Amino acid sequence: MLELKDVYLELGEKTILRKLNMKFEVGKRYTILGNNGTGKSTIANVIMGVEGYKPQSGRIYLDGDDITDLGVSQRAKLGITIAFQENVRFEGIKVYDYLTLGGKNKKSSDDVKKALKVVGLNEDYAKRYVDASLSGGERKRIELASVYMLDPKYVILDEPDSGIDMMSIDTINTFINHLRERNITVITITHREEIAIDCDYSYLICSGIVLKEGTPADISEYYKSMCDVCDHPNDIQLIREHDVV
Amino acid sequence: MRITPDYSKEFEKLAEAYEKSGGDTSNLLDKRVASIIISGDKVIGLNNVDGVEIEAGKQELGVWAKIRILKGKKIPMPIHLCTGFLGKEGEQRVNFEFIIEDGATVSFVSHCSFPWSTKLTHKMTAIVRIGKNATMTYADAHFHSENGGVTLLSDTHAIVEENGKYKNSFELTRTRVGKLVVKMDVDLKDGAVADLESKVRGRADDDISIKESLGLNGKGSHGIAKSRIVATEKTRARIINEAFGNAAYSKGHIECTEITKGTDIDVATLPVLKVTNDLSELTHEASIGRINSKQLDTMMAKGMTEDEATEFIIKGMLS
Repeated sequence: MLELKDVYLELGEKTILRKLNMKFEVGKRYTILGNNGTGKSTIANVIMGVEGYKPQSGRIYLDGDDITDLGVSQRAKLGITIAFQENVRFEGIKVYDYLTLGGKNKKSSDDVKKALKVVGLNEDYAKRYVDASLSGGERKRIELASVYMLDPKYVILDEPDSGIDMMSIDTINTFINHLRERNITVITITHREEIAIDCDYSYLICSGIVLKEGTPADISEYYKSMCDVCDHPNDIQLIREHDVV
Repeated sequence: MRITPDYSKEFEKLAEAYEKSGGDTSNLLDKRVASIIISGDKVIGLNNVDGVEIEAGKQELGVWAKIRILKGKKIPMPIHLCTGFLGKEGEQRVNFEFIIEDGATVSFVSHCSFPWSTKLTHKMTAIVRIGKNATMTYADAHFHSENGGVTLLSDTHAIVEENGKYKNSFELTRTRVGKLVVKMDVDLKDGAVADLESKVRGRADDDISIKESLGLNGKGSHGIAKSRIVATEKTRARIINEAFGNAAYSKGHIECTEITKGTDIDVATLPVLKVTNDLSELTHEASIGRINSKQLDTMMAKGMTEDEATEFIIKGMLS
């Protein structure tokens, strides 16, 4: 199990996460739902151990072991990975090499074909470059294929539908189901309730706290009805209500 | 190609160096492939094919060569140029003249190998004349010694006539650089196109100096000059990319990317754009700095260490 316990994070002079508590069990699908600017991507960076996102207090545990002080590579080696919201480009690197990590990931060309197929791309993409010649949507799919090529225990998908028009929710859900077949825990970060609905458990984030958690139906319903026009414009009131000062 | 018998052993050694630099020796021995092999101050092999006239001879401390591609000829296989220096110390001067006659099309693959030199100065000058509607592609890969004892001074002046095309790439990424001074200027006439690219990786106290200059002198001429430099440890790099828009509807773009790693590097880039015709358009991009942290995080999240991710990204950039 992956667990965030009382995680508190300030960036600059701004408090982003306030005593956050979350649990992610093996093989389940989770959604972290919330409006833009509520701290969702920060949670992803904190879980992944990205530099600059180490909590000032609180701990992160993986199967009971404290991983708070570990960096990105170390956490990846323990089985946590992420498809970041922003898909960066890599000049001169072919998709095939990107997916096989330049040979570090000992997978066959059949595995590459399969990974591309899972995200709706044909095998010809293996010869293309992970650079500006790919559209945002193609680049997003390549990123998901690269996650598929790994053998992680936990996958964070940060806004898998962001910045793209052509990638359907069905494609994302199909991809996630492929991960679940391999008993991989999937944590999807999104602000779209239609993506949040198909999961085992949801967290609703507002102003860096877990405002609500529970079944996806309940959380999505609440989000749809209450968060379109935010019911918590005053952070201080919310923070007091949740005793997370 | 027939290797001069007296030089067969020298060829074997040079072939070893050539292979190290990524060359394929079989091309040098293939009669269908025009080629020239230079070792020190000797021409040890030379082969001409239909449409190609290569003349060469000895000069003080080196070799001169005049390479002519006859009018309208399309040379099907790249011409191979192999230049090497097998000694440890010395100086080698090579003077090339390329004449690509009107309507001809040719590509060159050049390998310069100095893998055993501890103190060598290699001076290369080239005059390139590309005729009307002619096309020349030149790929130059260097393989130097790992002790940093090679000084490479390269000076190329190219003239591209009406609607001619010139593509030149220079690569020194697999070994230490030593000291490198590359100067290249291109004079583009009406409708002519040039594409210049340099990729260099510096280590230890390597010293890199590159100056590429596009003279957009003809109406509708186009040019791109790109430099990709990786500077690590104590590398010093000075990159100047210039474009001069002197004619109507000419377009030029210059670009320099320098990746740095280490606290003792000394790296600078200077883009120069000058327009004397208000219908000319020039643009530039330049960046110096460490590898983008998002690129690193992306690769590290897949299990690479920071060093592995850095190497992976750099190799891509220089490929």
